[in-house]
Amino acid sequence: MTFNGTFTQVIHELVQQVMPSLVVVRGHRYGAGSGIVWDANGLILTNNHVVGRRMPIVLLQDDREYESKLVARDPNVDLALLSIDATDLTPLKPASASPRVGEMVFALGHPWGQRNTVTRGIVSALLTVQNRRGDKLPIVRSDAPLAPGNSGGPLVNASGEVAGINAMIVGGDQSVSIASAVAVDFVKKALAQNTSANKKAYATPNDVI
Amino acid sequence: MSKTVLMELSDALADAAEQAGRSTVLVNARRRMPASGILFAADLVLTAEHVLEKNEDISVVEAEGTEIPVKIAGRDAGTDIAVLKLDRPIGTVAEATKSPARLGQIALVLARPSRDGIEASLGTVSSIGGPVQTGRGGMLERYIRTDSILYPGFSGGPLVAADGTILGMNTSGLSNGPAITIPADIAWNIAGILAQHGQIKRGYLGIRSQTVDLPSASQEALKRKQDTGLLVMSVENNSPASKGGMIVGDILVAIAGNPVLHHDELFARLNGDVVGKSTPLEVLRGGQPQTLNIVVGER
Repeated sequence: MTFNGTFTQVIHELVQQVMPSLVVVRGHRYGAGSGIVWDANGLILTNNHVVGRRMPIVLLQDDREYESKLVARDPNVDLALLSIDATDLTPLKPASASPRVGEMVFALGHPWGQRNTVTRGIVSALLTVQNRRGDKLPIVRSDAPLAPGNSGGPLVNASGEVAGINAMIVGGDQSVSIASAVAVDFVKKALAQNTSANKKAYATPNDVI
Repeated sequence: MSKTVLMELSDALADAAEQAGRSTVLVNARRRMPASGILFAADLVLTAEHVLEKNEDISVVEAEGTEIPVKIAGRDAGTDIAVLKLDRPIGTVAEATKSPARLGQIALVLARPSRDGIEASLGTVSSIGGPVQTGRGGMLERYIRTDSILYPGFSGGPLVAADGTILGMNTSGLSNGPAITIPADIAWNIAGILAQHGQIKRGYLGIRSQTVDLPSASQEALKRKQDTGLLVMSVENNSPASKGGMIVGDILVAIAGNPVLHHDELFARLNGDVVGKSTPLEVLRGGQPQTLNIVVGER
């Protein structure tokens, strides 16, 4: 057989490269969600609805467990920024360009509590939804299957960059992620408002945000 | 950073969606969700017949977002194909594939159900079947099925190959179960007839028949391997078949050179191409092949 597995090798490598940035966020009475290492010094991005009321526990890929501090949350974009007392983490980069309909994406997360799951799809549509405040929120819809527990995890493109933050499942077949541009904006604002609190931990690395 | 095969495939799929998306339009012809359509000529849109729930006040929205009023140029419920005529030529005309769909190839289901832009889902060509009776009185020589997710409003939109060419038109209107794709060559052909004549002619012979096994002696007489044919059970008076000399007891084995094993093959061939024309029908009479030239009527 001439097929030498190059293609599957690339996908395997991509997943290996992205996986260290995927965390478990336990912060809700009903099971856990997913989170993304957003910078090397302990910033974790997840969905606001994953965080719930308590201070969430963040579980890294190497099984280290941290009680996190809530840096910021915004129900209008369904995002929350947490901080854990860790360094030398492997962050993901937000996609450098806006996603294109048709491009390949992979959703990483912990659906139904199943750790470190990968599902494959393409960007199906670039849409806007209205949030509770009536603002337009840009979202990325994909045909990668998502389930509860995927929330807060990354939707990465073929380069391993974050195209969206997996957020919700509207109806059976519709997998929705919050556009990474929204996340970049949210983190930027969150850090600007938190300069007094813990400047060192929240310093803004230029290459990430 | 050099591009991996994955990034190349990803780019190719996005390019294909973009290319085919330019000729994929929104079709506004029903109260609920809009549907999709394919610009198959500069001023003609191919869409699914079942999405046309009104006859007037129909419009399409092209890729740039311009809304254009259209008129129904032709429709055929049997194959769920309709053609809309624009009042002026627009945009980029869709390119039909030159290599028909292959089992296992990847394909994008494209739609434009809103003004927010195109929508796509990825799947595999999971089966190619036919001929099949559509359940709406029509006949399709071939059809394609994929395993993609079909978002609301996809009917009338294209199935797109990785090179951006169009493999067919997707519709949920022909089967109660999963959606199917009408192959591009068939859809384009029917759409062309609809654009010209407004409807599809269906042929009529005036016989009732039943599938029967052909004994080996008959197959030898035919000089080909053909397991079954259609035994003629009755011939209507003054029908095209009776005028052409067909009698009860004939076994119909071919029409216009195409073997007829079951009713499906006969229906598939009794299309607009043969209506009103003298068409050779091969029958077995007394075990011997014979050709009757029958002028096919219109149903």
